Amino acid sequence: AHIAEDNSDLLQHVKFQSSNFENILTWDSRLEDTSGMVYSIEYKMYGEAEWLAKEGCQRITQKSCDLTAETGNYMEFYYARVIAVSAGGRSATKMTDRFNPIRHTTIKPPEVTCIPKVRSIQMIVHPTPTPIHARDGHRLTLEDIYDLSYCLELHVNDTYQMHLGGKQREYEFFSLTPDTEFLGTITMDAHQLSKQSAPYVCRVKTLPDRTWT
Amino acid sequence: GQEFRFGPCQVKGVMLRELQEAFWAVKDTVQAQDNITSVRLLQQEVLQNVSDAESCYLIYAMLKFYLNTVFKNYHNRTVEFRIMKSSSSLANNFIVIMSQLQPSQEDEMLSISESAHRRFLLFRGAFRQLDIEAALIKAFGELDILLAWMEKFYQ
Repeated sequence: AHIAEDNSDLLQHVKFQSSNFENILTWDSRLEDTSGMVYSIEYKMYGEAEWLAKEGCQRITQKSCDLTAETGNYMEFYYARVIAVSAGGRSATKMTDRFNPIRHTTIKPPEVTCIPKVRSIQMIVHPTPTPIHARDGHRLTLEDIYDLSYCLELHVNDTYQMHLGGKQREYEFFSLTPDTEFLGTITMDAHQLSKQSAPYVCRVKTLPDRTWT
Repeated sequence: GQEFRFGPCQVKGVMLRELQEAFWAVKDTVQAQDNITSVRLLQQEVLQNVSDAESCYLIYAMLKFYLNTVFKNYHNRTVEFRIMKSSSSLANNFIVIMSQLQPSQEDEMLSISESAHRRFLLFRGAFRQLDIEAALIKAFGELDILLAWMEKFYQ
């Protein structure tokens, strides 16, 4: 009887690493020496019969492959798989979990401009572009995809923080002491999907008050 | 507060977020059991471009099927996979939604209800093509697709 070879050591942790809809397939191997190992990547939409070979990721040696373009419909469900072949001809194939970009992607910190004034600090949150293009070709931002709100916090001292938040992109913390350093943190919240970005942090100093000098 | 509006059918007292989180908690466990990646029960033809008027008929048929066929027969699996809590939460919420749905039976709605029924038959047809065990696993694993569609009617 033919005993199936156990090549599971060739491949493990085949998964999508996704942030702001940049979808990278990654994997690794339990072997210490993977020299001579080559990997070929295939992908498809859930429900499709055919696996499609990813151009540019056939018989590669690195352990990652960018599938952003191939998984561009963020509402859809995808699978990818890695076929590993060792120098000695052993092979293994492993598949990802079902991947749904809108749910799985993590949100990076927002891009923010923090503008210090004498007695206030203004914060402007910039739209976050994604690699996804709309039908008319323009690039979608995270704000186009999620119903985002922003949470801003200004650390005045160890015991006192100020909070602002909402859906608009411009905020200002008032009634601050001139010539003093503050720490601001800004996060984005996609409420309906229980997602929150890592914080953007800015350290700013209010301007000296020169009115009476 | 927030409610579902499937065309004329209104549903209050159900938190969509609770449904989503109940499923997300078990998604990977359930979907990992489904290795038929070439078949999707809730294909695009079932859920795409559903009119408001159709939506009440379709959601009623879908929830009835999930309660009477999927949850009912998938029960021992939920014990095996230790996903009872999520499964019960989903089922109970589906019961609440169904209890408030009253699809109109009037004659002028006949063509609309038939259109919704054709969509449901597509889904059920694909379900019946599979071995029952595989079909139950797949249907349960596709609840995120159903919930994502239901979200469009949540206000």
